[in-house]
Amino acid sequence: MKFTIYQESRIGRRKSNQDRIAYCYSRDALLLVLADGMGGHLHGEVAAQIAVQFVTQAFQREARPLLHDPAMFLSRALTNAHNAILDYAFDKDLREAPRTTVVTCVIQDGHAHWAHAGDSRLYLLRGGRIAAQTRDHSRVQLMLDQGLLDAESAAHHPGRNRIYSCLGGSHPPQVEFSARIVLRDNDTLALCSDGLWGPLGDEGVLRGLSDPFVQEAVPRMLDHAEQRAGATCDNLSLIALRWHDDSAPQPGDSVSTQTMAMNDFTTQLETFEQSRSPATALDLTDDEIERAIAEINSAIQKFSK
Amino acid sequence: MQCDEARILPRTPMPSQANAPLPTGFQLDQYRIDRQLSLGGFSIVYLAYDEDDTPVAIKEYLPNSLAIRQEGQLEPQVPDDNLPAFRYGMKCFFEEGRSLARLMHPNVVRVMNFFRANGTVYMVMQFERGRTLHDYIHRHKGEVSERFIRGVFTRMLNGLREVHAHKLLHLDIKPSNIYLRNDGTPVLLDFGAARQTLMSDQPMLKPMYTPGFASPEQLGNREALGPWSDIYSVGASLYACIEGTAPPRSDERQQKDTLQPTTRTHTGRYSAQLLETIDWCLQLDPLKRPQSVYSLQKALMRREAGEAMPAGWFADIGTKLRSFIGRT
Repeated sequence: MKFTIYQESRIGRRKSNQDRIAYCYSRDALLLVLADGMGGHLHGEVAAQIAVQFVTQAFQREARPLLHDPAMFLSRALTNAHNAILDYAFDKDLREAPRTTVVTCVIQDGHAHWAHAGDSRLYLLRGGRIAAQTRDHSRVQLMLDQGLLDAESAAHHPGRNRIYSCLGGSHPPQVEFSARIVLRDNDTLALCSDGLWGPLGDEGVLRGLSDPFVQEAVPRMLDHAEQRAGATCDNLSLIALRWHDDSAPQPGDSVSTQTMAMNDFTTQLETFEQSRSPATALDLTDDEIERAIAEINSAIQKFSK
Repeated sequence: MQCDEARILPRTPMPSQANAPLPTGFQLDQYRIDRQLSLGGFSIVYLAYDEDDTPVAIKEYLPNSLAIRQEGQLEPQVPDDNLPAFRYGMKCFFEEGRSLARLMHPNVVRVMNFFRANGTVYMVMQFERGRTLHDYIHRHKGEVSERFIRGVFTRMLNGLREVHAHKLLHLDIKPSNIYLRNDGTPVLLDFGAARQTLMSDQPMLKPMYTPGFASPEQLGNREALGPWSDIYSVGASLYACIEGTAPPRSDERQQKDTLQPTTRTHTGRYSAQLLETIDWCLQLDPLKRPQSVYSLQKALMRREAGEAMPAGWFADIGTKLRSFIGRT
């Protein structure tokens, strides 16, 4: 597999970041997962953390290096994550189980499968258009479907944050699964929380990801969303992946899993402590430092000729 | 990205003492440190030699307020609380590198390498022999000639034109950032404040500036920033050449303008046309200044109406000049 991936989560103007994001890949399979803990409920960030961690761990157990059945994997992993949240509430004697949205995607054999509950979204962008996207499990989306609302009033509807499906809580989740989608060279997959798609809209997501470099597009889109949302900015997260054909020349910053060992995994999952601290948005990982330096040196080479 | 000064403030206050420089003879990557050239709040600049014994200037990212390096240590100590701010400042340092790496011009300092060592990052620049315009003004106070001024600024503006052509603003032009090589040609230095603003629609955060040389829009309405903002700073630098000091701060001028037009104060010692050009650049209203470097250059090349300066000054003297660089 060849792809370029970048993810970032920011706190916005809230006191804590209840969004969680992760990606993980073996030699032959790739997992993306994003959860947005529900702020109105107790321990939303715990629910999001459990969901992301649980799905990631299940993937690491089962992708050896391929998943036996990606659709079944998603179904089982999300049901089990839901139950893990309920178990946590039981253990801690919480009056109500915490809740979180979830959107997750598995890629293997050149095909993508995704599943979601709630209003965190997945977009598949192809050739400058939105080729597919998840439909929110929200009242507003239902009203839109029934023609009771138009897009403009939906964007400002006071109940736009009300969702009817999520992990945790008192009702079993209604998880929606995608068909098996063939990925083409240069397709972009984006997973995001409502803190990002709310301020930007479909158009903004599409435009933002038309940039050939996801590692530059993602921070810029988060900047835009934060700016647009202003003082009430929600937590916002985005994972963006650009898919490359195996035969395509390898762009400098992309990942090729060809040389990975059979049972090896690479995982990016932010820990509790990190995402709680407002400083995370300012932090710079070792990888980012190396990338910045490589980029500067390649510019020096290029322009000094 | 915008570099926000407030974000580089320490959470754990550090005793404000100078950090120890790397010792003479220290082998840093492929370079041998010779001595410290300058020390700022944000970095240390060294003279060093590469494998071929070519001198280079190496700028070490080392913010005084966030990191401390004691005598005999190599890695600066950064308290955990300061780590995010330290890393943020590093991003700003990268921005400077990114800006400069794309500029290849004889009147703009050239970046040659960028690397990581000792827990921080280093930018290697071409070493130039000479001194700053600031030094020159101090040594020749009150007797900086018009010919010198026109020659230095016309050439320096070739570099600034290149900066603007890359959709960058310098935003910290002042005599101490204009370096005069021994052959008299100027080099524009220190892009620590450079911002990629001509293109971006991001909100501007408050950066560092130098009072007296900064335009009013830099201190206030940052949405109005543009090439004319650098032109204000060029005007203030021209003013410093004839007056020996910076003009009053532009934000104070906006309250009560105490700046006397140079056409009134320096008549007779400089041509009216030069003084008018300086006053033109120092207009508080951005729209009343020259709107592009090109139009300012044209003004600087004309002594009296109709009389043009030698054409060679204006042209891109790149190739010819490059062969002189480093040979002194």
